[in-house]
Amino acid sequence: MGEQPSLADTPLWTVVELDHFHTPEQTQASQWRRSLRSVSTWLVGKSSAEQQVKEAQALRPLAEARLANLVPPIDWSPAVDALAQQLEGEDAPVTFFITPPFSGHASVVTQWAEKHDVTCLTPPTLSELGEGSTQWVERSAIGSAWAIPSLERYFLRHTQGIQGIRAFLERALSGRLGRGVIGCDSWAYAYLKQVIGIEGAPVFTLQSMEGAQLSRYFAHIATHAGRPPPVYSTRTGKPVLFEAASQQKRQAPNKELQRLAAHCRGHIGLAWHYWRNHLREPKAEDEEGLWLVDVLAEAELAPDTGDVATLLLHALLLHGGLDDHALGQVLPFSHHEAINARLALQRKGVVASCEGRWQVTPLSYANVRQLLASRNYLVDPL
Amino acid sequence: MEEQKKYARLFNDIDSQALITLGVVLLAIIVLIIVSQRGLNWIGNRMHGQVRFRIFALVPMTRLLILITALAIMVPIIIEPSLRNMVTLLGALGLAIGFAMKDYVSSLIAGVVSAVELPYRPGDWVQIEDTYGEVKHVGLRTVDIQTPDDDLVHVPHLKLWDHAIYNANNGGTSLQCVASFYLHPEHEAGWVRKALHDVALTSAYLKFDQPIIVVAEEKPWGTHYRIRAYPVDPRQQFLFITDLTVRGKTVLSDAGVPSAMLPPDAALDTRNAVGSAYSRGND
Repeated sequence: MGEQPSLADTPLWTVVELDHFHTPEQTQASQWRRSLRSVSTWLVGKSSAEQQVKEAQALRPLAEARLANLVPPIDWSPAVDALAQQLEGEDAPVTFFITPPFSGHASVVTQWAEKHDVTCLTPPTLSELGEGSTQWVERSAIGSAWAIPSLERYFLRHTQGIQGIRAFLERALSGRLGRGVIGCDSWAYAYLKQVIGIEGAPVFTLQSMEGAQLSRYFAHIATHAGRPPPVYSTRTGKPVLFEAASQQKRQAPNKELQRLAAHCRGHIGLAWHYWRNHLREPKAEDEEGLWLVDVLAEAELAPDTGDVATLLLHALLLHGGLDDHALGQVLPFSHHEAINARLALQRKGVVASCEGRWQVTPLSYANVRQLLASRNYLVDPL
Repeated sequence: MEEQKKYARLFNDIDSQALITLGVVLLAIIVLIIVSQRGLNWIGNRMHGQVRFRIFALVPMTRLLILITALAIMVPIIIEPSLRNMVTLLGALGLAIGFAMKDYVSSLIAGVVSAVELPYRPGDWVQIEDTYGEVKHVGLRTVDIQTPDDDLVHVPHLKLWDHAIYNANNGGTSLQCVASFYLHPEHEAGWVRKALHDVALTSAYLKFDQPIIVVAEEKPWGTHYRIRAYPVDPRQQFLFITDLTVRGKTVLSDAGVPSAMLPPDAALDTRNAVGSAYSRGND
């Protein structure tokens, strides 16, 4: 009898149809754990609920230079190749490639377009969106092939702000603009699906990674700096990184990284941020190896988070981030209320500015998503 | 003498031990009811979505269970629980209730029925006669409704027997809201319909798994449009209607669509005066 292929053998980068996407094992358990932790924090205050093998006081953050070597930015080229492979068989006028925030749809589509010599369209300006102008749609009278890296930059959630994208997608989906590949944030995709109706167009996404795959990936990127150092979990004291699949098979299942995978719903972009932010080194000079602090000990949102904050977070996710001016345009309360709510969330570390836009931080994303889902808000399909 | 003995046999001898037991049971009931009611309400008020309604639904049911258990413990201490004794006691009780406390007891019984049939439960938005608001507490005799004007109205349960109870969300999170627009008869109706649909689609409060319907109705004074849609949370209903109204007015005004010339109230008055049928609506 042949040996069953394990997860450690499966390719890291797989582009699949949206219907074939599945979350990693223990995702539901992770959500329950998060809810429980959130309720206990709310009732009895913040506490280090789980026993730690290694105390946080004995550890310190890594120097930026070392961190850059051990956890370099994600190279999306394998995902670009996987997407190109899927697109080879497609003849639909528009194909969507969606990922959640921080998970690379813009980079993947941009690189794919560069590699295949395809024109990337320029997004409309905020004033064009605010005025409901469709001139940018006329500008998009393009040739045979085109690409949009970030569709979330093409609309605003108000009556004027959806007119342009509606006209554009109507033309694109009918095939009048030639063939296009659209990169889109999964939240914007969920919203546009409801508002415009984009059923029928093929939708691809990156398949989720399990803990074993994350372990392989983090070990692989750390080898740029030579042999990867041993990394231990502060929770269990056990190693979490395995250089090779064969080495991993001999070891017990990697619970710590499976927890991380479940927490991030298998999205490599989010897991990368956690990995980068949770690596620590011992303060004592004679100790070797690195430590991974508990990934779930994060800034939590209280279950009684108010409506203003919730609406603001939802708006930020639907638009893939917004500046203060645009935030005022899409929220149903005054500009200063929006700013106050944004400042409060910024102080808690739930939102941060990135290229002039306020975004939900990668480490808060899982909690924010769960909060919005529990309140019946529209959430992304990933 | 014989008659007196017969009635004395109805009740058990109440000694000091029985009195202490009764006192302890009574105290326990009061404490349990207060703790369970306040505790469940406290938790429910801090929850959102379906969990909130599930917790609220437990409030009257828990109290009913506590009361039944308490009665099952206390009655045999006071009365010898034979068939003859029970018939005698219930007969006397029925007579007293029939003459003196009919409405009060009717409300208590309706309270028990409401705990079983659940025509309303805390968190529901109901209309009973002229009172509309959120059910805050389902008591033994009354249901407490908080109106949008922040008045707390205590409505006796006996309204259940002969009044319609309008429950807008019925223990769920879906509550339909209606925003009305009264427009001049001369306008492009197809465009207005689409524009109002977009107004709902772009509301931050919109619940997407429920339909949006724009209803147009021709009236003597113009056209009455209604957006029927659902907010994410029933408690957002007034904010949602306001959002739809404010943004709807802006869109219509920017497009130069004029409002109806005759105020609708005046139109309704005129219509009622000539004896036209009036149908009740939420709007």
